[in-house]
Amino acid sequence: MYRKQVRRRRAVLVLLVVISLILLSAHFSERSSGPLHGLQRGVATVLGPFEEGADRALKPARDMIGWFGDTFEARGENEDLRAEIEDLRRRVAKAESAVGENKELRALVKLGPSGGIEGRRPVTSRIIGRSPTVWYSTVTIDRGSSSGIDDDDPVITGGGLVGRVTETTAGTSRVTLITDHRSAVSAKVLPEGPSGVIKPEVGDPGELLLDFIEEDTQIEEGQMVVTAGWRSGRLASLFPYGIEIGKVTEATLDEQQTYQRVHVRPFVDIREMELVQVLTQGGAASGERQATAGGSG
Amino acid sequence: MILTRGIVARIGLLLLAGVILQTGFFSAISLFGGTPNFLPVLVVCLGLLGGAVLGAVCGFSAGLLLDSALLQTLGVSSLVLLAVGYLAGRYREAFEVSSPLVPPALAAGLTLFGSSVYASIQLMLGVDAPISLLVIREILFQTVISFVLAIPTYPAVRWILRPALVEGTPRRGTGARSPITAA
Repeated sequence: MYRKQVRRRRAVLVLLVVISLILLSAHFSERSSGPLHGLQRGVATVLGPFEEGADRALKPARDMIGWFGDTFEARGENEDLRAEIEDLRRRVAKAESAVGENKELRALVKLGPSGGIEGRRPVTSRIIGRSPTVWYSTVTIDRGSSSGIDDDDPVITGGGLVGRVTETTAGTSRVTLITDHRSAVSAKVLPEGPSGVIKPEVGDPGELLLDFIEEDTQIEEGQMVVTAGWRSGRLASLFPYGIEIGKVTEATLDEQQTYQRVHVRPFVDIREMELVQVLTQGGAASGERQATAGGSG
Repeated sequence: MILTRGIVARIGLLLLAGVILQTGFFSAISLFGGTPNFLPVLVVCLGLLGGAVLGAVCGFSAGLLLDSALLQTLGVSSLVLLAVGYLAGRYREAFEVSSPLVPPALAAGLTLFGSSVYASIQLMLGVDAPISLLVIREILFQTVISFVLAIPTYPAVRWILRPALVEGTPRRGTGARSPITAA
């Protein structure tokens, strides 16, 4: 009897491992229009409203935790005031949440249709899901193809570039952030500075690296980095020119001493953002939507 | 654990709630530069209560749901979480949960194991960017926070699944309990 149970246990384990490996390799080799991706989009579509509901319902609790962290040092109040503080904490958490959202929305409004990004129709969305590991820096937003969002649309906040859309369902989209290891964005140092490729440093959302800058090019701390927005014939960058990315903090020579490695601090705090804006194609010609190699832009 | 349709439904709802909580709540919390990972904790609790097979199946399902919800590469989270659930269940089958500190300690240990395996898989699949040493800080943070999260989670999961637990139902006779069915 015991041996039978052991055999069954091992069989289940082996079966599940095999299924996982098959899924992994099939998912890698399959096109995004394949059945596995389709099934995944179906599950994501079903889960989307639940995630959205949970996100909204649990926002006060999240804000409360953040507030507790910020006010950790202020907990030495006397006993008479503690009851009042408890009540005020709840109120302040709600108020801070509203103020933060208001500030974020105000910043987004500045980047609306009159904000200088021609031919793009901005769609404001809320983040409803985030990846729990540093290896996948992705978020799920509450707008999808039914709102006009398409793969490779750039995503911004009031602070600057956030990432691009890499998968859509009718009601949700996945955004791969600029801090994801698969991300690469062609960028330019202002003013009149050189162009290079912005890549992340996995595990550190507060740091980006601008590679392929010639060693003799003068880069100074504090210079602004924006999307390069290049165009070559029918091929064009996924990101329009001039979206702010970050500020140069340091420039060092790489191991081979041929290029400089420029450290850039992104303007957007990836972990704190809650609202984003997707720059959909709007009236732009679909023929101009040419993805660059490796999904970079 | 006695698995009935009702208990399977409860476990399914627990996993669904766990995935939604993870993507919509825990992943949005940033404490000391790290993000809590609740799913290994939940899978460890289920493994401890239901044994190795249930732990592995729950881990696999939770991983599949998570990867689907986030439109990530299918199979990676499943592989890691099924190992976590299986090991938690094997612990339960081999040893007695003699102290209330065992579930938190096991959750912490298996989160460390799971995060390390996840990192190894990602490195094997290829990472197109430099890797910061802060990854280690993230893994260690998740380990510590898993210990804390397991303290309320284990009793809560146990309470939700109490009709299925052998200890919670009247037993006839004095026959010894099988390590797999005993919880």
